[in-house]
Amino acid sequence: MKNIHFEDYLIKDFFKAKQKILKGLFWEKRLFWAKILIIFSFFIFWIRFFNLQVVNYPYYYKKAKERSVVTYGIRAPRGEIITSDGVIVATNKAVFQLYLDPELIKDKEDEILYKLSKILGEEFGMLKERYYLAKKTFLGRVLIKRNLNWDEIAKIMVRKYYLPGIKIEVEFERHYPYGEAYFHLVGYVSKITWEEYKNLRKNGYFIEDYIGRAGIEKVFENRLKGKNGVIEIERDAYGRLGKIINRSNPIPGETLILTVCHNLQMKAYELLKDKTGTIVALSPQDGAILAMVSTPSIDAQKFITGFTAQEWNEINSKVDTPFLNRALQGYPPGSTYKIITAIAGLSAKIINDLNQSLFCPGFFRYGTRVFRCWEAKGHGSVNLIKAIAYSCDTYFYTIASKLDVDFLAQVSKEWGLGKLTGLGWEEEKSGFIPNKEWKEKTFHEPWYQGETIILGIGQGYLLVTPLQLARVYMVIANGGYLYRPYVVKNIRLLNGKTINIDPQLEKRLNLNLSHLEWIREGLMEAVKIGTGRAAFIPGIMIAGKTGTAQVVSLSLKKIKHLEHHAWFVSYAGRSEPEIVSAILIEHGGHGGSVAAPIAQKLYKHYFGISEVNILSKQKGYKEITGNETSD
Amino acid sequence: MKPQINFKEIFIENIWKILTVFSLSFFGILNQWIIAENSNIFWKNLIWHIVGLSFLLSFIWLIDYRKITLSIIWPCYLFLLLILFILMIFKKRWIEFGIFSFQPGEYVKPILILLISLLASKEPSPHLKFKNLLKFLIIIIFPLILILPTDLDHAIIMGIMFISFLIFIGVPKRILLLLGVFTLIIGFILFPLIWNKLESHQKGRIYGYLYREKYERTWSYQLNQALIAIGSGGIWGHGFKKGWSTRLHYLPAKHTDLSFAVWAETWGFIGISIVLFLYGYLLYSGIKISQKAKDWFGKYLSLGATLVLFWQAFFNIGGCTGLLPMTSIPFPFLSYGGSITISVYFLLSLIFNVSLRRYFLK
Repeated sequence: MKNIHFEDYLIKDFFKAKQKILKGLFWEKRLFWAKILIIFSFFIFWIRFFNLQVVNYPYYYKKAKERSVVTYGIRAPRGEIITSDGVIVATNKAVFQLYLDPELIKDKEDEILYKLSKILGEEFGMLKERYYLAKKTFLGRVLIKRNLNWDEIAKIMVRKYYLPGIKIEVEFERHYPYGEAYFHLVGYVSKITWEEYKNLRKNGYFIEDYIGRAGIEKVFENRLKGKNGVIEIERDAYGRLGKIINRSNPIPGETLILTVCHNLQMKAYELLKDKTGTIVALSPQDGAILAMVSTPSIDAQKFITGFTAQEWNEINSKVDTPFLNRALQGYPPGSTYKIITAIAGLSAKIINDLNQSLFCPGFFRYGTRVFRCWEAKGHGSVNLIKAIAYSCDTYFYTIASKLDVDFLAQVSKEWGLGKLTGLGWEEEKSGFIPNKEWKEKTFHEPWYQGETIILGIGQGYLLVTPLQLARVYMVIANGGYLYRPYVVKNIRLLNGKTINIDPQLEKRLNLNLSHLEWIREGLMEAVKIGTGRAAFIPGIMIAGKTGTAQVVSLSLKKIKHLEHHAWFVSYAGRSEPEIVSAILIEHGGHGGSVAAPIAQKLYKHYFGISEVNILSKQKGYKEITGNETSD
Repeated sequence: MKPQINFKEIFIENIWKILTVFSLSFFGILNQWIIAENSNIFWKNLIWHIVGLSFLLSFIWLIDYRKITLSIIWPCYLFLLLILFILMIFKKRWIEFGIFSFQPGEYVKPILILLISLLASKEPSPHLKFKNLLKFLIIIIFPLILILPTDLDHAIIMGIMFISFLIFIGVPKRILLLLGVFTLIIGFILFPLIWNKLESHQKGRIYGYLYREKYERTWSYQLNQALIAIGSGGIWGHGFKKGWSTRLHYLPAKHTDLSFAVWAETWGFIGISIVLFLYGYLLYSGIKISQKAKDWFGKYLSLGATLVLFWQAFFNIGGCTGLLPMTSIPFPFLSYGGSITISVYFLLSLIFNVSLRRYFLK
């Protein structure tokens, strides 16, 4: 029984087991596919997450940040600019600015802009245009109006509830107390353009930023700019601002101390105010610029406060372009160049001593051509000193006639003409010194000696900047040291330290001391008794040279715009030379009668001599250079 | 013959699964903590998890899954149908009891899994008979039709869940092919009809999925915010309670549908990998349990429960990563929801029950 039962069990069990195995097998197969399904799907998801979170992380992070963080820029206050006598000529002023946050007014931008245009009394179209342009920069908010007055602030604050997204903030703005007098020297700042912004945004510039456009503001942009600060604030999906997640405070720009003497600069501007011209004053000891004025000028402050359309048209349509820094433009130097001719003659051993003189009959004949001296009567017997003092053309014609033009050009170059002075400003022109090679290249003609003769008195193709000329006279004053002109002497850093900028000697010219003495003598004589008498001040040593640069031929000179350029280049001091100046009045007339009196007033102011003591009777000397040819 | 019970073996084999469930529960509680703006939801979620876990543990030890019989499940099924019918009439998804609300739709899954497993295990074979197949389909289709008007995507996904379950149980190839072709044809015919019947937000989900850039601010806003949240997490994540999307309210439905995106933003790729691994491991062991189960009810039941958990995760992750259209399916553990949490723990308790009872089977 037991046995049977056992067998029975076995058979039953066998079939059961067989069935189980068979069924188990198909189930194993099914489960295998289930596993595949799960593993495969999860692997796909994992890859997807890898793609989103690792590969595309920067993209999504940027998107998340753009969405949930507002960035407000805080503009760094620009560095101040201070003259050597401590007068601040460029600083910053706190003003109220009106901002609008585009994110907070997404669907009602036009409505709010319209309301604002009513409040501010601006044209809706223009406001809108400006707003949409600025909005493109993703810098969070848009500057709607600068320098709000109390009335406007009150009007806006009262309606604040109806004007979501607006914000009034106190910011620093550039302020030029002496805008016009310093326009060309200090330069000006104006709004960064879209193109500039695209290039400079990596340097931390904002679209609201101002950038230096000319003069010191431009050259020292990196020092003055400082570093803009940034505040990053979280913003939730409803536009509410949350906590500040990142804040970098703005670092103000560094302060520049100029070599400029404020009194002198102001006086120079006053003297030139209604004229077209320039005054550059250098220190003969180190080439420091004491004053640099160019007229007509523009008030630099206008670039911040804005011009009216009329003013802007006026500036741009003017013939005597006020944007030009005339101290750095090339002009025909006229007789002031005779010094170079004299030096070339001396070093070429054409002039050997003071006894060597020649007779001036009022003209100089070279071959068939006749070159006229400005003094038709003639100067009689002239030596070097007298020739300089009276600016005798015949004398310099004679010397030039014996000179090779390439040698003259070489001497000019040696004295810093025809090339940049090393001031490092973009607006500076290098002037021009002609030579044989140039002539042949340009005109396909050989150089004629007659052209050298004209060159000898500073006419012809020659172009010299007032700054270059001042430098030539500086070398004469200091005995051979050709300094690079510079205008910033100290940079005051934020940590209280000061960087000193040392004067740079471009080169030391080897001059024969007696030659130098003769030239100085000639220049002093010119002021005492010669063409520059109008500059004379008793008790002050002044040595200078007038110049009347011919713009067109004599017959046309009656027309004001075609009058000669009046030059007076000189140095002065009580015993030693203390100041060198170059004065140019465009189409002013004669150097002796127009430019020299200005020099006198300038020096009087500089040396602190009151007007009353001075006999201002002296009238300028007439001086016209004729170089008409008669064949 | 009394089987030898090796408790050590039982322990070793199950401890990792249990630990996985515990850590996923912990992650779920943590995730709701990260999300919580007020403590209300966090506490409710905590209660659900504790209730679920205690249910899980007690069910494993106290109840034998083989004691569940058709006489218990049929009434449950019919009761559920009744409730769903009533809800359909009132056009509601939820029944509210004070501060708690129930979503009966969620309980369709365990009930149907149990019912189908029980019925199928009566005559296990590689291929279902046509008669049985038809019976199952009818059983499945009733609750789904009742859910359809109020919770379309849930109904569709449940359909996928059970159809896949039936396929694994064994649909003959010919019938499967026939069914496939039939559904396709019906689908093509009915598609324009259904499409016109769809509500705008339902259409929008499809639009948002297909043209993500075009509807960035409208239909695919949710998806885009989810992608930004996930992508900005990077490898290491923003860290605890630091994520922008979560904190600054950019992420919609962050408690429920997009809670996985919150996790991804907070813990980054590392956190995602851990959760994916743990969840995957849980599913894998569910299948292992089905493999080792000694009776067909256990085999079917554990596979069915595993498949439900799998599809649940599949559609949630697929939705928030933009691989599939966005659906309102919550992610087990990480998402908030009383019914889903309880239903997930119930399914898990079924799986574990099968796993443990194996040792006590003759």
